[in-house]
Amino acid sequence: MHAWLAFAILALTLWGVTGVTQKLSTNRISSERSFLWFCWAMVALSASVLLVAHPHWELGTVVVLCSIAGGALNGLGAWTSFRALESGGKASIVISLISLYPLLTVILAVLLLGERLTWMQSAGACTAITAAILLSLEGEPKKAA
Amino acid sequence: MKEKGGFRKLPAWLFWSLASIVLWGTWGLVSKVASAGMDAYANQLLYTVGLAPLMIFVAWSVHKENAGDRRDTRATGIFWAFFTGILGGVGNLAFFQALVVGGKASVVAPVTALFPMVTVLLALIVLKERLGRVQWAGLTLAFVAIYLLSA
Repeated sequence: MHAWLAFAILALTLWGVTGVTQKLSTNRISSERSFLWFCWAMVALSASVLLVAHPHWELGTVVVLCSIAGGALNGLGAWTSFRALESGGKASIVISLISLYPLLTVILAVLLLGERLTWMQSAGACTAITAAILLSLEGEPKKAA
Repeated sequence: MKEKGGFRKLPAWLFWSLASIVLWGTWGLVSKVASAGMDAYANQLLYTVGLAPLMIFVAWSVHKENAGDRRDTRATGIFWAFFTGILGGVGNLAFFQALVVGGKASVVAPVTALFPMVTVLLALIVLKERLGRVQWAGLTLAFVAIYLLSA
């Protein structure tokens, strides 16, 4: 298995578990408070990383700005997704629609970074986005007994 | 609904959904650019710096509205939120590392976007929830996608 794939599967596994733990949290506290404590955990984790991992700090301006922008973009994305759900959008439609975000990453990476995908990878990207949409759809309602 | 100029107004939920696509879609790109020049640890640290302004805004909102969460369940809710943050952060480190070791943004982003498959599997195995046909189809396609993307 490629190293990048192992790390990507680890990321999707951990993020997948957050789908359950986030629900356990927002069943008890508001989404705002939940998000706030989510952020505090990020701060705690980053502090631990700083103490334990000794990251390399010989960094260029562009990469630093991109990394900081990454945090802002991801956080704002979470916030706007909450707003979408609170603005009357059906969860099944909103979440399915938002699941299209990797499509934009693929387009931007091909156009701006010059990445090239094989035929298999292109098919895989399309299949992944379709799968993410289907997985986000609510289950079929059970028929009354 | 019509605006003064006669243009059809975008529903608020659609506007915010499209904003989420743009923000998260761009995150994948900037993460790849950042990963070309730093390790995953530094990326996670600076990511948190980028998150800070929004965190301050949300903290101010929570303080202002003094959300009326039930006190008896608040501690448990906070525990799960904090745990979610730790899992999310370690997930970020793995995502950044996938990019650092040579994964293309155009491949890593679609793979990691399959994270609902784990949520669905946990709901099936742990919570004993029943899945609809659509979700079974999604789960099957997710495995097919990982195979194709890893080729």
